[in-house]
Amino acid sequence: MTVKVRFFARFRELLGTDILAEPGSGTVLATLVRKIAEKNKEGYAAIFDEHGNFREFVIVMRNGKRVETGDAGKTIIADGDEIAVFPPVAGG
Amino acid sequence: MLSERELERYKRQILLFGEEGQEKLKKAHIFIAGAGGLGSPIAIYLAVAGVGRITIVDMDTVDQSNLNRQILHTDRDVGRKKTVSAIEKLQELNGDITIHAIDTTIGGDNCDKLVGRADGIVDAMDNFPTRYLLNETAIRKNIPLFHGAIRGLYGQATTIIPGKTPCLACIFPKAPPKEVFPVVGVTPGVIGTVQATEVLKYSSHDGRLLTNRLFIWDGREAHAEEIAVERNPACPVCGEKHTTSSRKPARKKR
Repeated sequence: MTVKVRFFARFRELLGTDILAEPGSGTVLATLVRKIAEKNKEGYAAIFDEHGNFREFVIVMRNGKRVETGDAGKTIIADGDEIAVFPPVAGG
Repeated sequence: MLSERELERYKRQILLFGEEGQEKLKKAHIFIAGAGGLGSPIAIYLAVAGVGRITIVDMDTVDQSNLNRQILHTDRDVGRKKTVSAIEKLQELNGDITIHAIDTTIGGDNCDKLVGRADGIVDAMDNFPTRYLLNETAIRKNIPLFHGAIRGLYGQATTIIPGKTPCLACIFPKAPPKEVFPVVGVTPGVIGTVQATEVLKYSSHDGRLLTNRLFIWDGREAHAEEIAVERNPACPVCGEKHTTSSRKPARKKR
């Protein structure tokens, strides 16, 4: 199956975007993003903490619907899914 | 009633909003939290558009390093309070409106009082803890919160209408880490004018608001995007389980 992962803002700078991946069936969302992020150490550290969990402020969407990052470890990916990973900004 | 001078001053936008819409802008009272990067373009555009009453709050002093983005302030303002500088410029831009500039830090103890009976709150802050306070005040007072935030060439904005859209805590349950963020003036320019546009639409009852959507601006790619955002029924601020006892009676708006 093929899924698309889109990174935004700083995540995009570090990891690129519109990444097509072909995960095996039963792959969960967190694993998919982790594998893609692993190609860039800084990108990985921006998104995941030292335990490999999504940092708590990161916003993850699956097909336009918010996925609680706490649930990303049990959300199974389906063919054609589009995953968006977004870092909110705080400056003014 | 609009004066002859006001009719002339706002002639080109009366073509857009009508005299009725312009009257509504004149009657509006908008609270701007912050006179920095976002607060500058927001305040300037709301002032020149004829928002009748603007309250702007900031506790800071103008620093040389602010001048690349905080366009309300100039070299001669360095060392002066931002509120003093802001009120001067805004009143010069439009003498027909009322401007209150309050030199204080927005905190949990004074936020509701500072906002007072304003019709809407514009978030021009540079930190999430204060944004969460503004969000709680907006929910309690049942008035909109026009959110914006920036970093570098990136920005985000959304319009929060209590009871109708997710609140700030639904969208961002956890604050991004604190940092000295990189910034160039054009980014708060883009996001601040999106926020100001929202205020003008809300106040004149025109257009479709940026509700239930998070606008994302990527200046590096020259790309804008939006993502759908939803209410969190378990939100500690606006969720269904939230006790309503702390809320004041809702004010009828729109």
